[in-house]
Amino acid sequence: MSLLFIVIAVVVVALIFDFTNGFHDSANSMAGPIATGALTARNAVIIAAVLNVVGAFLSTEVAKTISGGFFDERLVNPSMVLAGLVGAIVWNLLTWLLGIPSSSSHALFGGLIGAVVVGAGLTSVHGWVIVSKVLLPALAAPLVAGVAAALSTKIAYRITRRTPSGQTNTGFKYAQAFTASLVALAHGTSDGQKTMGVITLVLIAAGFQTAGSGPEVWVILAAGLAIGLGTYSGGWRIMRTLGKGIVDIDTPQGAASGAATAATILASSHLGFGLSTTHVATGGILGSGVGRDGAEVRWGLARKLVVAWLLTLPGAGIVGGLAALLAGSGVVGSVALLVLLAAVCVVIWLVSRRNQVTSRNVTDSADVMVLASASPSTYPEDPRLVTPRTRAKSKKKIKSGV
Amino acid sequence: MKIEWGALGVVAAVSIGMSVLFTILLAGGIRFVSAARSQRNRDGSGTAVLAGGYTLLGLATVLVLLGLWLIVPQLH
Repeated sequence: MSLLFIVIAVVVVALIFDFTNGFHDSANSMAGPIATGALTARNAVIIAAVLNVVGAFLSTEVAKTISGGFFDERLVNPSMVLAGLVGAIVWNLLTWLLGIPSSSSHALFGGLIGAVVVGAGLTSVHGWVIVSKVLLPALAAPLVAGVAAALSTKIAYRITRRTPSGQTNTGFKYAQAFTASLVALAHGTSDGQKTMGVITLVLIAAGFQTAGSGPEVWVILAAGLAIGLGTYSGGWRIMRTLGKGIVDIDTPQGAASGAATAATILASSHLGFGLSTTHVATGGILGSGVGRDGAEVRWGLARKLVVAWLLTLPGAGIVGGLAALLAGSGVVGSVALLVLLAAVCVVIWLVSRRNQVTSRNVTDSADVMVLASASPSTYPEDPRLVTPRTRAKSKKKIKSGV
Repeated sequence: MKIEWGALGVVAAVSIGMSVLFTILLAGGIRFVSAARSQRNRDGSGTAVLAGGYTLLGLATVLVLLGLWLIVPQLH
């Protein structure tokens, strides 16, 4: 009975993680097209969501390992997976609240590593693999995509410098929409499978599925829909950081960064050097700022993002480890963990409502605020931000002439 | 365990090369098509330039299709 409960809990929490993965990463493909107006915000997330779902169905060759070689997978039990997923979800939500595009895969690995360390000891973790598969790619991905985007941006402006901007914009916008769609499809084929892999592994470990078999149809369907729904919900806070926060993107920049992102993701996945989609997309946008003369790149924000990437593994690991302490104490501990997770989700959601970023105001500002109060005048076009209290305050100000 | 510097180098070279190639084809195509339209409006000529522009845009589309081919495992 307790095993069945843990398995059901893992399946549900894995699908929640998949949902957060979707909304966390929708910006990777669509932040650029939305920022330049190549696609409307709603159309962009619909396209990304559909392509993520299609991508999840395209390839059912689920990774044989969910550990990525970071730890000894034989030591993993369903409670540790549950704790690891909780660590990844909490990290994804926290970084979303702050508008930080961080890797969902690294969050998942971090959460699992933390849970395994608590459950099976520090010696079960392979430290060198972390250096070669997390730290090095986290530095290499933005560098490669950034150089590609910077060169491409320079070339795009150089070739079209005598062409009227009205005529170039249409062509670059079409190109941006196509390359963004490629990135969304590629994301669905890779990230959708991670959740399928987690669920399948737990079903096999619990004896509900034969060892060595692929994912059940319902698992593919559920994981595909979860990442699709997450993508559709937008993740607008991260969309703002990538689309407006790092650099103001013009259409040639958008096309160049889209081409660099798509080329880097496809080349890395087919040449056996897996790079995070998030890191590549961020590097592409940064590079497009470097490549355009006179563009203002906000390097302070870029530095913060790199720090957040390096903190993802230990951050999610600490939460995963703490969660493992609770989950390891049986059904009661697991129930308590789920209640805590729900509470954290609600608190983060409530805090995010203080300064909402939606499809309507995503391109209005470059900053993602968390605790500072946004007055209605900051986003006058978003009626959801005007509460009866703020409306009364505004009237009072008008009356008093402030 | 060692870092695969060779794989990283190949990824970097291919990524940068393909991105630059796509941008050259795209921007070149846009420029030629735009120039051809201006010529047509002026004196009715510009057919060859227009064809060249669409050829470049067609080649850029081929690169996008190559990307799609790489993503879909059933195609290769």
